[in-house]
Amino acid sequence: KEKRRGRGRYGGQKCGRGHKGERQRGNRPRLGFEGGQTPFYLAIPKYGFNDGHSRRRQYQPLSLQRLQYLIDLGRVDPTQPIDLTQLTNARGVTVQPLKRDYGVQLVEEGADIFSAKVNIEVQRASELAIATIEKNGGVVTTSFYDPRSLEILCKPVLFFLRGQPIPKRMLPPEDLVRYYTDARNRGYLADPSKVAEARLELAKKYGYVLPDITKDELFKMLSTRKDPRQIFFGLAPGWIVNMADKKVLKPTDERLLKYYSS
Amino acid sequence: MAAHTLGGLCRPRLGFLAARFSQRAAAGTEYRSAYSLDKLYPPRQDGDAAASAPEETQPAALDIPLARLTVSYCRSSGPGGQHVNKVNTKAEVRFHLASADWIPEDVRQKMASMHRNKINRAGELIVNSEESRYQMRNLAICLEKIRTMVTEATEQPKVVSKETTQKLIERVEKMNRERLRQKKIHSNIKQSRKADFD
Repeated sequence: KEKRRGRGRYGGQKCGRGHKGERQRGNRPRLGFEGGQTPFYLAIPKYGFNDGHSRRRQYQPLSLQRLQYLIDLGRVDPTQPIDLTQLTNARGVTVQPLKRDYGVQLVEEGADIFSAKVNIEVQRASELAIATIEKNGGVVTTSFYDPRSLEILCKPVLFFLRGQPIPKRMLPPEDLVRYYTDARNRGYLADPSKVAEARLELAKKYGYVLPDITKDELFKMLSTRKDPRQIFFGLAPGWIVNMADKKVLKPTDERLLKYYSS
Repeated sequence: MAAHTLGGLCRPRLGFLAARFSQRAAAGTEYRSAYSLDKLYPPRQDGDAAASAPEETQPAALDIPLARLTVSYCRSSGPGGQHVNKVNTKAEVRFHLASADWIPEDVRQKMASMHRNKINRAGELIVNSEESRYQMRNLAICLEKIRTMVTEATEQPKVVSKETTQKLIERVEKMNRERLRQKKIHSNIKQSRKADFD
């Protein structure tokens, strides 16, 4: 049986507003009001769950599925070391350094379908993500970028147009030093021999045979790593890149050289 | 960039991985700061004795030979929509228990009796896991379960020596004697406060 409808644009007669009262007259109280009783959102006491939330470090997640998607489409080149600059140029991730983003973190989503041999450098990585990449013969490194270096890393061309020398990357703050010197997180400040041991341990734990990357033809590329004070591969701190004349200017004064290599 | 020489640490186990950093780049072509890895962790020239001593102290996790295990994946059960319907996330690990040389003989027998319900007619111990969303993690959980089984079967019942049992009994008796002594003293105090009619 068809529903009896009033005529008119909004349904007609009462127009779905009900009969008299605040409902029909459009004067209902604000959201959360409970007629005078202390509302739920005021009755519950505060606790510091969200204290300093706007000052916390954030890391943009990068799933292995997304990484595989980018490699398959050809937006990211697996034959070169993958860096935040490469990911940003490929528009794979969007990092906002001004919104307390400190970089990118590797996430396990897509661990079962990942099959690419890459040398990747992120800021954080979970254990399963590290295991997946190493199982496929790749290399993971976690490194720290302070906000200024991060902005330069994400938008290199804009920085070069400023005409300033490349600054040196700062070392991590106290609470992160422990994270980046730990071989289990593949920190960039960790002992390489301990990193080798940690790779074996992970292989035993996750039950795969660790492929020997020394026998790989891309071994040289896979083992390239940045120096802790370096921001770009191939460019040292202190150099100025001139985009207009396509030249790179390097300092010669020994005080400057001493400062930039400290 | 990385060119950390580990030439001195040529342990046979890690040799093939230590060689990962054994390239020495031509000095001057690469940038090296004060915090580069060579300066933080200079390659040690001393003998392996100092290097190998801290290794042995930590108990190594049981080495499970993956070639001897049969691993198969299938779909997990339970709720989860399209993902659980389509993706093979349940991991099952089987191995023939009686012929597993990597477990000591007596431990094998203990395991056969403890986990009777997990061994099939062909004599294979079956361990499966579908707790995680990821195949790799489920496999890791299976291996961890096998390791726990072996550890449980290895542990021996605690043997308390005669001297220790005697000591414990003596301690209990001494505690009781002291308690009764204190009780008598307290009783005497209370008695002495009593005023008799005599």
